[in-house]
Amino acid sequence: MTLGKDIRLNNILNPSDGRCVMFPVDHNFIVGPIKGLENVEETLKRALKGRPDAVMVSPGQAKRLSHIFGKRGAPALVIRGDWSNAFREKIYALPARKVQEVLIAHPKDLIHLGATGAVIYFFTGYGDENEQDQHYKRITWFIKNYEKVGLPCQVCVIPVGERVTGANFVDLLELGVRMAVEAGADILEVPYTQDITTFKRIVSAAKGVPVLCAGGPKAARLRDSLEIAAELLEAGASGVVFGRQVFQSEDPASLLNMLYALVHEGKSVDEVMGILGKPLRLKPLPEKCIGCRLCEIICSSSHASSFSPYKSRLHVEEVGDAFKKFKPLVCTLCGSCVKACPTGALELNPELGYLQLNEEKCTGCGKCIEACPIGVLKFDEEARIPLICDRCLGDPQCVKWCPVEAIAAEVY
Amino acid sequence: MGLEGRGYVGKILYVDLMNEKVRTETLDEKVASLLLGGKGLGIWLLYKLSRPREDPLSPNTPLIFATGPLTGTSAPTSSKTCIITKSPATRTVLDSYCGGFFASELKYSGYDCLVITGQAERPSIILIDNGEVDIRAAENLWGLTTVEAEKEIRKSLGKDFKTMVIGPAGERLSPIAGIFSDLRCAGRGGAGTIMGSKKLKAIAVRGKEPVQVYDEREFNKMAWIAYRTLRMSEATARSMPVFGTANILLVVNEAGALPTRNFQSGRFEKAEEISGESFHEELWIRSYGCSLNCPIACSKIALIKEGRFKGTVVDGPDYETIFSFGSNCGVSDKNAISYANYVCDMYGIDTISTGCIIAFVMELYEKGLIKSQELDGIEATWGNAEALVKLVEKIAKGEGVGKFLQLGVKRISERYPDSMSYAMQVKGLEVPGYEPRAAQGMGLCYAVSERGACHLRAYTAGGELLGYLGGIDPLSHDRLKVLYAIDRQDEKAVVDSSVLCFFTLFGLRLKEIYQMIVPCTGFNYENEIELKAVGERVITIARLFNIREGFSKKDDKLPERFLKTPLPEGPAKGQTVHLRQMLSEYYNARGWNEEGIPTKEKLKQLKLTEIL
Repeated sequence: MTLGKDIRLNNILNPSDGRCVMFPVDHNFIVGPIKGLENVEETLKRALKGRPDAVMVSPGQAKRLSHIFGKRGAPALVIRGDWSNAFREKIYALPARKVQEVLIAHPKDLIHLGATGAVIYFFTGYGDENEQDQHYKRITWFIKNYEKVGLPCQVCVIPVGERVTGANFVDLLELGVRMAVEAGADILEVPYTQDITTFKRIVSAAKGVPVLCAGGPKAARLRDSLEIAAELLEAGASGVVFGRQVFQSEDPASLLNMLYALVHEGKSVDEVMGILGKPLRLKPLPEKCIGCRLCEIICSSSHASSFSPYKSRLHVEEVGDAFKKFKPLVCTLCGSCVKACPTGALELNPELGYLQLNEEKCTGCGKCIEACPIGVLKFDEEARIPLICDRCLGDPQCVKWCPVEAIAAEVY
Repeated sequence: MGLEGRGYVGKILYVDLMNEKVRTETLDEKVASLLLGGKGLGIWLLYKLSRPREDPLSPNTPLIFATGPLTGTSAPTSSKTCIITKSPATRTVLDSYCGGFFASELKYSGYDCLVITGQAERPSIILIDNGEVDIRAAENLWGLTTVEAEKEIRKSLGKDFKTMVIGPAGERLSPIAGIFSDLRCAGRGGAGTIMGSKKLKAIAVRGKEPVQVYDEREFNKMAWIAYRTLRMSEATARSMPVFGTANILLVVNEAGALPTRNFQSGRFEKAEEISGESFHEELWIRSYGCSLNCPIACSKIALIKEGRFKGTVVDGPDYETIFSFGSNCGVSDKNAISYANYVCDMYGIDTISTGCIIAFVMELYEKGLIKSQELDGIEATWGNAEALVKLVEKIAKGEGVGKFLQLGVKRISERYPDSMSYAMQVKGLEVPGYEPRAAQGMGLCYAVSERGACHLRAYTAGGELLGYLGGIDPLSHDRLKVLYAIDRQDEKAVVDSSVLCFFTLFGLRLKEIYQMIVPCTGFNYENEIELKAVGERVITIARLFNIREGFSKKDDKLPERFLKTPLPEGPAKGQTVHLRQMLSEYYNARGWNEEGIPTKEKLKQLKLTEIL
């Protein structure tokens, strides 16, 4: 390893833990105009408050925004050395007859632009073997020549092309990682395989070369983004390359801060979201409900270890005569059932404020069912007890699983 | 170890309408592990139970409602009902899928599968209440539209009953009749015709039994990953929830693959006006998840706000309906397209076939082969929205010329000499909304599909036109394309046997489905490849059924227009479908002989000899 490359690598990966939060903003010229990057300068200025270790940009961006990257304490600058048509979106992508990848910046261009590192694509999955060979040859050329000027080369491995199927995606990714490592990649960037077990295979194929994981299309919610980061760290990754997750979120800087806490401080998702151990109240948001009833399914699973909407503790109702208008009926903790219970079997947990049932005291009289003002409380004919909502003891599953967040948990 | 509690209830319910007899049978573990459920199980039962080459309308034809191991669990889209029977339109095997909440309720009621045979003496309804089966007279429901019938059933039985019904079109045996559930529809191929032939107006089911899986903790973990993956796919998380399945319409048009004026072109000059974006802007008022646990919510409710049809509330229209009534008839009037959809839903017919029939009539009219006198005075010119609605009404009600037109494109063309070359159908089923000259794989997909022209059998369009998994050259027609198509076909057969909604494949890969199937069933599939083999097995059984019915290579064909007339415009200008080459590659890669018949070795390798 050359001295220059060593120093630069330490600027990208934090030398104390070898990890990195990288923030890429080079999407516009790869996928097309994208939400969140209408004004890259603004986005960067806001996001940099979230302390990313490195920023990934196009050569043009590096030039135009040098006033940002030239500042003291600015993040490391990773610049793209190639371009591909593989990820163009929507109408301007068509017709995509072949995957192409072209050189756009020579090593000395990147040095001129002040690059800390270079990044290039490596695709595995070409239909034509000849094209795959040519592509691999180009990748090795890149790596070798960046090395000559002391630039660490980050290789972004993605299975793309005719050979990719649903069943071989992970295999192709693993092969690509191995090929990139053998060609001398300094940092690997890969898509998440969506589970820890298979991602461990990828990390192990990297033979010690740091693996960073790309975020892909924006997750619908904050929790997903964080959860994925936590999982891939657990699988042995060295950090994240989250672009869309960050710049399409409501508050890019705070998400970057949370990622920092996960990556560098070893905190858990719940810790960084700060929601553990607080009393929660459920709040239905009928205007969001799409009537899929997953809440009922997961409620029964959470309480009875089987799938049975009949035994769920909340319900989705179709509203009136309006076609396909729904509302979730959930326990609002009004306390009517507690008051109606003649034996004191029902009570509110004094600390976390959820309903609890003392089954020994319950006689199955059904007074609580009658008292429920919204009719959500149901009677379990088999067990002869009311099916109360206990907020899953502080971690309500309906809130977590609802695909459209039509049930919210409020701290009270 | 039995199947009970491993994603299955372990029971098949048989109802014989002729003798009003009901019995149950245990679901065989070996069959389940080889075919999963849904499509695989249904076709296997059909193969076992039906008599070769018998008229589909015979009382003996089984009408099968099958669930899969994932039905009723926490997996995404877990209540699609798989309906299997013999198609009255094509005489092939027919598997058709319906949204709604029927399948999960059937399972909660204690049955994995419902097999109906015989013909009732009078209009009937089958009632399944937590396992108890009752066959009742339903004269009061006969003649009602789909929505009226369902409303009536819920009023008299209780609103927690989930239903399957046919409309008046199914009652009078229109060959394009579908089976409906809560505004959703198993539309293609005439499942509703078979139900009508049994004088069965409706099925209602309600159940209280839980569904259990092999390893619930692990299963929920994998289901969670599946939802998260769907939340992270552009298509399922952002495009479809807002713009429905029509989110792709402009892209398909740009690729020159949007069938226009009975497939004369792949570009519609008014595509903007009928795009998902435009419907979203002007007509749709709401999205909803049509089936249990559907996070995608591609279903739309449209409200027609002006004109003759003002105030009509419509479920839809989806991409296929918009193509069939829209570009394919040259119509850009969104209100008319929506209203045509509404009429089809009420009377219970397939929108794709109906639109294609009208497009064919419009071409016959353009060529002067059919006159307005023969069409009850309707002037069937391209783009004539009023003519479109009138013809839909005639076909839906079976009135006037509609009685003839409802027979489908193939039988209409038999009356008009030389029109066969542009009668857009395969094996008697009308061609859906992807122009195969601009996406060669779709040509193969239509030709080898077991139920006639269907886009959902080997959806190569995902890679060819939409860039799914990095994409594949739409115009290539080499071995690689054939293998790509086979892969899509097997993958889809797994989804159909699991049973999940096809659209989950816009986010999930086979890996995520494999990760749910294993903790659900406890089957020791070693990897995704072994699960994919289930798909191959299912495709092969379907093929065997069709061969037994007399189908062979000679029927794996496309309308001449696709093969001989070059596409006039767009990126695929000048192309025709290279079917012959792809077909022989396909048989070869499948391990079938040159006549398209699976070899003995193949059947043995797939372990099919053990269950057939």
